[in-house]
Amino acid sequence: MTDSFAGAIGRKVLSRATAEEVGNLTQLLVDVGARSVAQLVVGRGRKARLVAWAHVTGFGPDAVMLDDAASLEARDADAAVDIDLLGKRALSEVGNDAGKVDDVTFDPETGALVGIVVGSREHPAEALLGAGSYAAVLGAAVEEPAGED
Amino acid sequence: MLLTTASAVRGLPVVTVTGGEDVAEIRDIVYHPEAGRVVGFTLNKRGRLSGRRREVLPASAVHAIGRDAVMVRDVDALVEPDAAADELGAPDRDRNVLGDDVVTEAGVSLGVIKDVVLLVGGTGEVVGYQLERPSGGEGYIPLIAQLAVSGAALVVPNATEEFVRDDLIGLGAAVDEFRRRLDLP
Repeated sequence: MTDSFAGAIGRKVLSRATAEEVGNLTQLLVDVGARSVAQLVVGRGRKARLVAWAHVTGFGPDAVMLDDAASLEARDADAAVDIDLLGKRALSEVGNDAGKVDDVTFDPETGALVGIVVGSREHPAEALLGAGSYAAVLGAAVEEPAGED
Repeated sequence: MLLTTASAVRGLPVVTVTGGEDVAEIRDIVYHPEAGRVVGFTLNKRGRLSGRRREVLPASAVHAIGRDAVMVRDVDALVEPDAAADELGAPDRDRNVLGDDVVTEAGVSLGVIKDVVLLVGGTGEVVGYQLERPSGGEGYIPLIAQLAVSGAALVVPNATEEFVRDDLIGLGAAVDEFRRRLDLP
């Protein structure tokens, strides 16, 4: 079973301890080195708060369950090293634009990334070599014609 | 074979493969005509009007030159001019081939060099030149062997004349064909 970033955004986030809704999922932030979801962003703007993946007790199709609402932390913009991949420019390692990251698929049990969707194609997560403010850099294989992977 | 020109590389962002950050942009290409390759790049800071960057980028530290970016492994690829080879850190100003006349051994002028043609995905191999033809039009020649180069002219084998092409796509095929003719890899 895989889930996807684009499909998960907007999903409600509940506290398992109190069954209260604490907000809606707005972003999934990725630890690029580990190729996994590191943190979730709940709510928008000044109300946005962060929660580490370790506090997610269930990532279900209808709701994201947290251990406790107290696990949510204020968002410190300077401390953000984890990257929001969605919408980011996709650049091949040989320096050609491949489009943008339209979706990311992941294992909802572990948070491990499964695939990076660029346009109509899904590349294995291993294709992700790095990501930062400018681009997500993918292996040169992203330039091979479709249908060969 | 995908080709690009030095002028198309100017202004491209320099992006790290491991970090996805645009750490600089290409200001100019430093070309070594005798060696037939780019030795490196001078750099600007990223963003409009932000000015020159002191560091240079040696071609040896380039991961790949693409259509949309010049890729480096990480920011350590950028070095102080003192730390780079002299041909990059303190290039000889007379070594610019732009404006040089390309003449065959037989004494036929093929045109004046307007630009340097590079391999896309490579690290600075120069595969040809863009010329302004004596007739006024534009042409491309493969650079397979040059016999001599000075500040004013470049002497090439007679056979080069047969491989003058109208565009970059034609040049790609001409490079392969010319290599086969001369039994080069």
